[in-house]
Amino acid sequence: MKRPPMLMHVKIRGKRRGFGLWLPLFLVLPLALALFIILSPLILIAILVFWPKGWRKRALHIFGAAFEVFNSMRGIKVDVRGEHRCIYISAI
Amino acid sequence: MDENKKKVLEMLAQNKISIDEAYRLLGALESGRSTSESTAKAGTAAKMKSKYLRVCIMPGSGHEHGDKCDRVNIRVPMTLIRAGMKFTSLLPPEARDKVNGALHEKGIDFDMRNLKPEEMDELLEALSDVEVDVAGSDGETIKVFVE
Repeated sequence: MKRPPMLMHVKIRGKRRGFGLWLPLFLVLPLALALFIILSPLILIAILVFWPKGWRKRALHIFGAAFEVFNSMRGIKVDVRGEHRCIYISAI
Repeated sequence: MDENKKKVLEMLAQNKISIDEAYRLLGALESGRSTSESTAKAGTAAKMKSKYLRVCIMPGSGHEHGDKCDRVNIRVPMTLIRAGMKFTSLLPPEARDKVNGALHEKGIDFDMRNLKPEEMDELLEALSDVEVDVAGSDGETIKVFVE
């Protein structure tokens, strides 16, 4: 099984100022679960409303694919450096 | 049974070769097969090891504004590409028709509806052999490769 990313480092530097962020991605899944539990009544209503339209299968696929994309993000690195700007994104 | 083995046994049955010769020939056939299998396995393992797609753009040293040019260094995990390609199956039919139309306009005759998951795996496996190396007149280089 793929290990999900734990941290994301985002660094953006402009001409005058810049900032760096360490995003704790290991908190995303517990937060998403908590949000899912809180919103479960609304999700249930949405499922019942959209059931006849056949969107249920597509919605499940989207959730599955989004979860897999998130889990596969470990190791991604984007480093763009110019004269006055620098963008650095890395997931570890 | 293997065609070559059959031939050896037929030759033995017709007394064209001795038992020792047949034994040696069968042994040689076996070792030849195991060598080709191990070579194929090594090739597959090397492909499986490729983990990242890299895109590097470097300005040339002879460039007038060497430091002013953008340097790009991107590393994308192959697993992320594989996961992202699954989103193509979620495209609504109308969007696929639009994509097909746009591709057709550019002269690419490709139907997205024919793209199957197993073909995507083959496509990604083939991607591990891709290496693009472009050198510009000012010395800037663009490299796309899998590592």
